[in-house]
Amino acid sequence: MTVRRAVAALAAVVSAMIVQAGLVVPLAGHIPVSLPAILVAAVALATGPSTGIALGFTAGLLADLASQHPAGVLALCWLGLGVGAGLLAEHTTKRRAIIAGALAALSTFAAGLLLAALGPYGTPAMDCIRYAGPAAIGDVAVALALTPIVQAMLRSPALRARPAVRRA
Amino acid sequence: MRRLTRRQRISAIALAVIAICFVTLDDAGGGLRNAHGGVRGAMGALYRSTDSVLGPTRRFVQGIPDVGSSRAEIDKLRRENTDLHRQLAASQAEAKSTAELNRLQLAADAGGLTIVPAKLIAFGPGEGFDWTATLDVGAGSGVAVDQTVTDGSAVVGRIIHVDSSSSVVLLAADPGSGIGVRDTRTGQLAVATGAGTAGFTLVPLDPSADLKVGDQLQTGPAGQSTYAAGLLVGTVIAVRASGDGTTQAALRAATSPTALDLVGVILHGGPNSAPRAVITPSGAEPATSPSAGAAQSAGHR
Repeated sequence: MTVRRAVAALAAVVSAMIVQAGLVVPLAGHIPVSLPAILVAAVALATGPSTGIALGFTAGLLADLASQHPAGVLALCWLGLGVGAGLLAEHTTKRRAIIAGALAALSTFAAGLLLAALGPYGTPAMDCIRYAGPAAIGDVAVALALTPIVQAMLRSPALRARPAVRRA
Repeated sequence: MRRLTRRQRISAIALAVIAICFVTLDDAGGGLRNAHGGVRGAMGALYRSTDSVLGPTRRFVQGIPDVGSSRAEIDKLRRENTDLHRQLAASQAEAKSTAELNRLQLAADAGGLTIVPAKLIAFGPGEGFDWTATLDVGAGSGVAVDQTVTDGSAVVGRIIHVDSSSSVVLLAADPGSGIGVRDTRTGQLAVATGAGTAGFTLVPLDPSADLKVGDQLQTGPAGQSTYAAGLLVGTVIAVRASGDGTTQAALRAATSPTALDLVGVILHGGPNSAPRAVITPSGAEPATSPSAGAAQSAGHR
């Protein structure tokens, strides 16, 4: 990963967290739609597991530290999200948005259950189960808008990955 | 499905272990409290600085489902606002009327007068005069021609025409109206002639009378004037001596003829009508006047 891609990834994650806090959470209400998780899934689906692992862990840790619950929960879940989406990267060219949304919903559900298990940090486990369906629909809807933008940005010359140079 | 390379697998496992360590550390003793605080502070600053952009968008989107009900709410609030404005205006008018009524009551108590309150319902020329007003009380309320109209402290005019439920007042401001007045400082008698909104023109009966700016003039003398005695007419604002030795003065009216609303018609009473004690040599038994004695004996019977 080049420095330019790392800076762009950090900027994208921070922007996603700001929009999440300022727009998505107030509008979605109790339904746990997660824009940063969709971003991680979309990037991992477009670039593969290496970027997915790095971006998922970093974005999750940043989101953890910016919230009330113990650090590491979202880092762990979004790390898994990055791995899962990265593994599906080569096989999901047409339905990336739907898969990104579904995987993001799955990781959010897992994070919700983990927080419920840890104590009084997140929503109760029953609420996680109750809102899992609407959250998946919301995540897919957001992913349908976000995934094409992520793909277009990753294809831009400034952020395109350099081909590996092999020594003779 | 592609598989993770060995390097990717090791990285993922290492980061997962680190994440679990973080969870354990932070959940057990809050070991990452400072890190939480730093990131929350930075993100909080970013949230606040971007809220000027995201806030209007959020409020717009949040308001879409309530567009219909918001319009109804706005209409309801507008109606309530109009009602409140109307109530406020009514309350102010009521407060003014209450103050005027209190003033009339005070005048009735102080002067021993019987006053009937009246509302001014029309204003303008009438009965051959320029300055007249119509009141909503008439003969049915005991109003009669030549009774004095007051606002509680000052003279307003006198009744010149009475119907069963209304009456016409010749305002003191009319140029055809002359009021017998007395200077409260010197006791000099004079005639105040109406001059419209400019007040009154004052001509003393004694051409050499001592008039000064600031002198107050009251209706009088009691019993000799058409008007009830003791009501304020105005204050001297200018004194002018003519070449022939006569003196004239300009008066500022004690009440504005164009701002009248609630007034009182003095039906009867006042200084001239009350029985009074006679003055006897010091040390002698006080006695009442023959008329008062007759009234007392009539009461005993």
